[in-house]
Amino acid sequence: MTALTGAAGAAALAAVSSADPYPWPWQGAWRAERTALLVAGAQPAWATRSCDTEAVGSVIAEVATALRNAGGFVVALRHLGPPAGARRSAVGLPPAAQDPDAALLDVVVALADLVVDAGGINGFHGGRLDDELRGRRIEQLVLCGFGAEATVDCTLRAANDRGYECLTLTDAVAPFEAETGRRALHSITMSGGIFGAIGPSAGLLAALAPTPIFQEQP
Amino acid sequence: MTERVVDANPYPWPYDGPIDPARTALVCIDWQVDFCGPGGYVDRMGYDLNLTRAGLEPTARVLAAARAEGWTVVHTREGHRPDLSDCPPNKLWRSKRIGAGIGDAGPCGRILVRGEPGWEIVPEVAPVAGELVVDKPGKGSFYATDLDLLLRTRGITHLVFTGITTDVCVHTTMRDANDRGYECLLLSDCTGATDVGNYRASLHMVTMQGGVFGAIAESADLLKAIGA
Repeated sequence: MTALTGAAGAAALAAVSSADPYPWPWQGAWRAERTALLVAGAQPAWATRSCDTEAVGSVIAEVATALRNAGGFVVALRHLGPPAGARRSAVGLPPAAQDPDAALLDVVVALADLVVDAGGINGFHGGRLDDELRGRRIEQLVLCGFGAEATVDCTLRAANDRGYECLTLTDAVAPFEAETGRRALHSITMSGGIFGAIGPSAGLLAALAPTPIFQEQP
Repeated sequence: MTERVVDANPYPWPYDGPIDPARTALVCIDWQVDFCGPGGYVDRMGYDLNLTRAGLEPTARVLAAARAEGWTVVHTREGHRPDLSDCPPNKLWRSKRIGAGIGDAGPCGRILVRGEPGWEIVPEVAPVAGELVVDKPGKGSFYATDLDLLLRTRGITHLVFTGITTDVCVHTTMRDANDRGYECLLLSDCTGATDVGNYRASLHMVTMQGGVFGAIAESADLLKAIGA
């Protein structure tokens, strides 16, 4: 892992203590400039079929702004599928590029440092995501998005196998169905964090805050 | 007379016509001692082995039928090199933190290490000569393996999944297969997880949105469709 003394300038950040099942990230201290927010499924194909889209969109905007202000990187994933007719028809498959359902939501485009096209539900499939992240020496990923049991979960699994240290934000994921969304989050925490950790955005935002604004009352 | 189509959920599987033994593979995920045997990794973490062993008998029946029909059969194994040089440091740290460290000595040898007794596939569903065995360092069977090349070279377009655990290695592999254009079926009684709620949710997730990752069926429905 990159030594925390490697990057000049920004201070190391404290671990997100409210994360489950361990304070995230695993090494303890971390740096925002080695961290990317991945916004998955911010397309009508997923967002219009998800729960709590509006509230989740607000949280994503807040987190994206805070991470970027701290020196982090924000990536919006555009999930694309093969041309119509190449596969079975299921509404849950990624739309073809020319489909209006494939267009990224404007609000997310405005937040993103980079848009990466993926060739599947998994943001790492068939695209440049891994290269873009490795090229920037990104080690930690924060995941959020829409159609969460599909887009966020597939991307998380691929990221975890590749060694990225992942935090999935419980209030920044909009699932298709509330109960399966809860179960998808629960699966992450099995076996000591089999796909990393989960936690509310407030914990991450607190870790990112440059100075404490107020003291917590006992 | 059978149509060789499975009465699956949420659509009759496969969507594109009868099951063709030449283009269909049975993929058996991680039926290893470490995940379903006494003294293995899952046992060491304190989970109930009955949950991960429940699918062994039906999987053995499906294996016999697939072999009789001449399907391609693939077995996967999760495990690391003995020096753990292919194990991400966060994966290693998490396993040690809960007392089941990858590479640590246990009753079945070193946990999740290639070549150790715990890494072997249990005898009930062990590979036979000529079947494909894929070793993987992660949860997904396509990442850092030659699985896709093996399947494409044989002209395989359809995959039927068994294995453990449902919400981890089976789902990760099925999701990746779906992205790669394979038409996927998960056999609900041939898989299990360390948490029964996660198992049920994982089955349901496959069927959402018209079959976002493919379809699910009971093994009896598959056997009926192929006349076995």
